[in-house]
Amino acid sequence: MRAEVSKYLNGITLIGVGGVLLAFWIDHRIDQYLHPLFRPGVLAGGILLVLAGTLYCVTTASRRCCVAGECVHEASQSPVRSFAAGAVLLAPLVTGSLVSKDAFDRNAVMNRSVVQDASALVARSASAYQGSAAVPQIPATMLGGDIDETASRDASASASTPAALAPGTGGPAAADPNAPGPGDTADGENYLPRTADGNVALEVTDLLYGEAEPSLRKVFSGKTVEVVGQYLPSKQGRHFKLVRMLIVCCAADARPMLVNVETDRPVQQTDMAWVKVVGKPLYQDIDGKTRVTLRAAAVMPVDPPADAMLY
Amino acid sequence: MSWFSFSWQNFWFSFLALAFEGLPFLMAGSLVSGVVAVFVPSTRINRLLPRNPFLATLASGFLGVFLPVCDCGVVPIVRRLLNKGMPVSCGLTFMLASPIVNPIVAFSTYAAFRGQSPGLNTLIRLTAGYAVAVLAGLVALKVRPDAVLKTDVVRPDRRRRAGLSVAPMPEDAPDGNVTTFGAKLIAAVRLASDDFIDTAVYFMLGAAVAAVFNTAVNQAIILPLARHALLATGAMTGLSALMTLCSTSDAFIAATFISFPMFARMSFLIFGPMFDFKLLFLYRLLFRKRFIVLLGVGLYVLVALLCSQVLPLIYASRGL
Repeated sequence: MRAEVSKYLNGITLIGVGGVLLAFWIDHRIDQYLHPLFRPGVLAGGILLVLAGTLYCVTTASRRCCVAGECVHEASQSPVRSFAAGAVLLAPLVTGSLVSKDAFDRNAVMNRSVVQDASALVARSASAYQGSAAVPQIPATMLGGDIDETASRDASASASTPAALAPGTGGPAAADPNAPGPGDTADGENYLPRTADGNVALEVTDLLYGEAEPSLRKVFSGKTVEVVGQYLPSKQGRHFKLVRMLIVCCAADARPMLVNVETDRPVQQTDMAWVKVVGKPLYQDIDGKTRVTLRAAAVMPVDPPADAMLY
Repeated sequence: MSWFSFSWQNFWFSFLALAFEGLPFLMAGSLVSGVVAVFVPSTRINRLLPRNPFLATLASGFLGVFLPVCDCGVVPIVRRLLNKGMPVSCGLTFMLASPIVNPIVAFSTYAAFRGQSPGLNTLIRLTAGYAVAVLAGLVALKVRPDAVLKTDVVRPDRRRRAGLSVAPMPEDAPDGNVTTFGAKLIAAVRLASDDFIDTAVYFMLGAAVAAVFNTAVNQAIILPLARHALLATGAMTGLSALMTLCSTSDAFIAATFISFPMFARMSFLIFGPMFDFKLLFLYRLLFRKRFIVLLGVGLYVLVALLCSQVLPLIYASRGL
């Protein structure tokens, strides 16, 4: 009798855990929690757990599960332990699924500001970029990625590069990282993603990558860009931070990516509200490092994007 | 800003993310465990390992190449293997090495360190992980199994084999009537389910602790440690235990801590898969509390010394 009760309790636990996994996958809530690479695992895990739980309920337990007479499984024989295991597994999952807002508040952002250099982030890789419509698909040649930066300052050497053939490059412009570069060519313009208003659609990470890559700075500088992120107030009234969380595997490893935004007048938004900022990025040397500030012409509230996290 | 600021919203978000990421891996590991238990006779597993206990321990460090499981999934497998007669030294070596010495982790480490000497860092991670695991296993050779293992994992009896000091699981299937493939499959799933429930309980407790740390503790307090070699290594080693990341993906996190020296980041990648918060709970399925504490302290000291004293010489010889 005890074994029968345990059997059904364990089976229900397995089905319940699998059910929560499947529910999150079916209604796409899982998109807020996991990197796309890990999401199929939730579906597979959910199906396996439901099948295993069903099998567990409808089949008969072995007379001796493990070593003769000495089963090592704490929950398989005792109804009390089965119930306790089910409570530890199911209760937090169900409670969490009911009360979770599928997002971090500002405390998490303030506690986790440990990303020190965007250039080291894996999301810069080509594989991470694939499938992301919001990311500019700019050929390396248009970014100047195939150009030796030192050589580009040499007029004789630059004459042999594709960038040198384009108007607006070479000479003083090439020596000034904020000056228009290869991305400003007519061809380069075509590769920049545009909004309906004609602004360049960028992510927070794109602006940060520009701090480390002169070629990106050249492309972005002087352009009117449109960036969506979460509003984090600053102590200075005309400044705030635009935040996006970048995840490698799951939300638990999410790291905030911040861009400083400067406005003409104080902005009134609630903490972590989703906003769209239209403005121009300005890259400046501060204490020997290049830092970006987005000078905003307009800040307006928007709905959260389908993928709140960046990958 | 306070060093601790708890929020339920952040806790649930981080906790559920860890659960959704880890539970499928745990189920996969449990299924492998169940299949091993029912379909793979202990004689076959033992046949893979040399009879000499020393060589068997060395060989165990490579089992992860054939059983590429993460640090969560390996615990039920090791419990099953111990249950089927694997020596404690081999089980411990396999458990510590397999989350690092396996092709998936090698690939992810190489990918994560792209542009930062990926080949060298991958080689160092796998080699150092193997060395630390084998060293721990060799120490375990000198210890009585009943002083290490929980009594309900394996009960030592009078039967002893060369290098084996634990009671092997009976060679027949869990139930004497289980002979057909279908019946064995059902038995494997049932065993996997039992393993999953046991391990998932501890995993959830570990995930809860990790979620609190990840969201409530101001991680900026850790950064000043980066300037001192030994402290930086110690801090990254400790941080890896606190962050409770999966070994298949932790390299992507470590790669972002670029203000920490490479050898300190390597300690993060070696110690974390061997001993972190969730493993602290999972190891309680196998080991006595005293041994877990000794294992944690020993691994921490060993990894910190290796990474702060030896690895800098290797990196320096490569001009890094």
